[in-house]
Amino acid sequence: MDGIEIGRLLRATTSGFVVGCRVSQLTAPSFGALVRVPLEKGYQIYGLIHDIHIEDDGLVRQLVTAEGISDAILADNRLNRNVPVEMGVLTLGYQQGERISHLLPPRPPLSLDVIYACTDKEICQFTSVGRFGYFRHILRAKELPTDELLAAHLIQTQSAQKIFGDSAWVHSATQELIILLRDEYPTLMAVLSAVNDAFEHL
Amino acid sequence: MSLDFQQIRDQVQQMGKSAAKREQDLQKKRNTAGALLESFAHDIQKLREKAALAARQHDPTLRCALPLEEPLNRHFSQPAIPEKTTLLAADGSQIIPDRHAEVEFGLINVGAIQIDYGSSEPPAIRVFSRLFYGDELYTSTGSLSEATIALRRDLGERRMLAELAAQAEPPVITFTDGLLEIYGPRDPDVDEASEFRKSLTEYLETLSKMRELGVTAAGYVDKPGTTLVVRLLEVALTSEKELAEIKRLHPLRGVYDIDLYRSLLEPGGRSPIFAVQSPSTKVYTGDLALHFFYINVGREEYPWLARVEVPAWVVRNGELLNNLHAILVHQCRVMGTRHYPYLLHRAHETAIVTLQEKEQLTRMIAMELRHQGVHFWGLSHKQGLKDLPGRTRL
Repeated sequence: MDGIEIGRLLRATTSGFVVGCRVSQLTAPSFGALVRVPLEKGYQIYGLIHDIHIEDDGLVRQLVTAEGISDAILADNRLNRNVPVEMGVLTLGYQQGERISHLLPPRPPLSLDVIYACTDKEICQFTSVGRFGYFRHILRAKELPTDELLAAHLIQTQSAQKIFGDSAWVHSATQELIILLRDEYPTLMAVLSAVNDAFEHL
Repeated sequence: MSLDFQQIRDQVQQMGKSAAKREQDLQKKRNTAGALLESFAHDIQKLREKAALAARQHDPTLRCALPLEEPLNRHFSQPAIPEKTTLLAADGSQIIPDRHAEVEFGLINVGAIQIDYGSSEPPAIRVFSRLFYGDELYTSTGSLSEATIALRRDLGERRMLAELAAQAEPPVITFTDGLLEIYGPRDPDVDEASEFRKSLTEYLETLSKMRELGVTAAGYVDKPGTTLVVRLLEVALTSEKELAEIKRLHPLRGVYDIDLYRSLLEPGGRSPIFAVQSPSTKVYTGDLALHFFYINVGREEYPWLARVEVPAWVVRNGELLNNLHAILVHQCRVMGTRHYPYLLHRAHETAIVTLQEKEQLTRMIAMELRHQGVHFWGLSHKQGLKDLPGRTRL
């Protein structure tokens, strides 16, 4: 079940958590990617990356005023200095043994727990369970760019679902979004517009 | 709020009123000093002889610059950056034992950073930490002083640089923040003087090892407040009859050496090299004799001068000197508007023990002592009250 390790947990609540990683680890995670935090005895938590935040500090601010930055200094600041990349993750559900649930987990992960990027198989397993129950966590998070997040998630999941033979997944997902947002016309239009943009470029 | 701003405000206003007049007087002195630098610029031998006479006959503690061969007002443009060089910088920090703290301990933490110029590899970092606890906190007649901890830290920096330089791909340039000279109690009656003597011997051996390896050693002083060249001009200005009073004669007091070279040095340029007339010349001799120059690491519209200390073996080798000069300017330019060598700043970042780390270490030691069933008094009530939330202090 091990995948690509993308970082370790900095802080968490029941509905979300923040992951810290080194810049060198930043090639794996992307906005809208599904991640998981394996805990004990077959219990693991799933979430969606909704924010990737790169902290600055005094030295970085100073260096941007310089005329040229050599590769060695770039590497020093990215690899040696203790300026982690922070990723905000929205909790979407959890797994206990074989059972995957789109409810919020009974308890959040703990400090320094390792976070992995989900493989295509894991993405399919999580997103195929039930009837898109995890969408409500995304739609409820009003402070997030929901439309962009859903578009990014649909693209990545569609690609994984196709590999495992379910090319109709994206249609079902879009139908579900229309149903969930039927009373929120502006949000629905923003989501559909983002989804449309995303799939136009595929 | 414990500072009486009403009281201090009057004093600040008073200071402001006198500052303008003081600045006018200082500017006159700066102009005089500048003119003296020009007029004595080529009298190298005379200046050296007069400084030696003043030190020998009238003031053995005299500290001033001694010109070598280059005229005092000469400047040297920035040479080309060497294609390949290993650059090493070290810095250190310390925790001074505090009897009011939860547990009494001392620490030195030395950080070194190595970068290979001409390579895109990230710099390599090394850290050395040493805890002082129990009997180590005492000397034969008292307690470990702040000066001795600082001496151990300084020696640790130099030792680490020498070790790394020996393993590095030559040519190698090493530098530390501050002077090359190390300080400590010299008075034989002072309890820690013997440790200083031992450290000094080891330091001189370390420097000699670097010289044998052909390594460039340098100390970098940002915004230097030294008056070594100014003092030389004061000696030059004093008649032989008045030279006996040189210790109390300071006609250019308030003028710094950097005031002299501010307008003389173009960006990237350096001043002539000077030797030092001081009591420590008896300690740092031959190839280890201390020299210095000023360097303008700033820009056209914003000159910024630093003082660089180098031993004689670097001065005698034009290539080592030019490479150091070029690298220092380049290192400062990397930092944008704050002209200070990048690697020295990184060495500082590597070595610094933050308040949070100090607290963590204190907790770690306290837990270990409790675990071992060892009694300790804990935080003093005085410190405990000072640490109460809601009050901040300097």
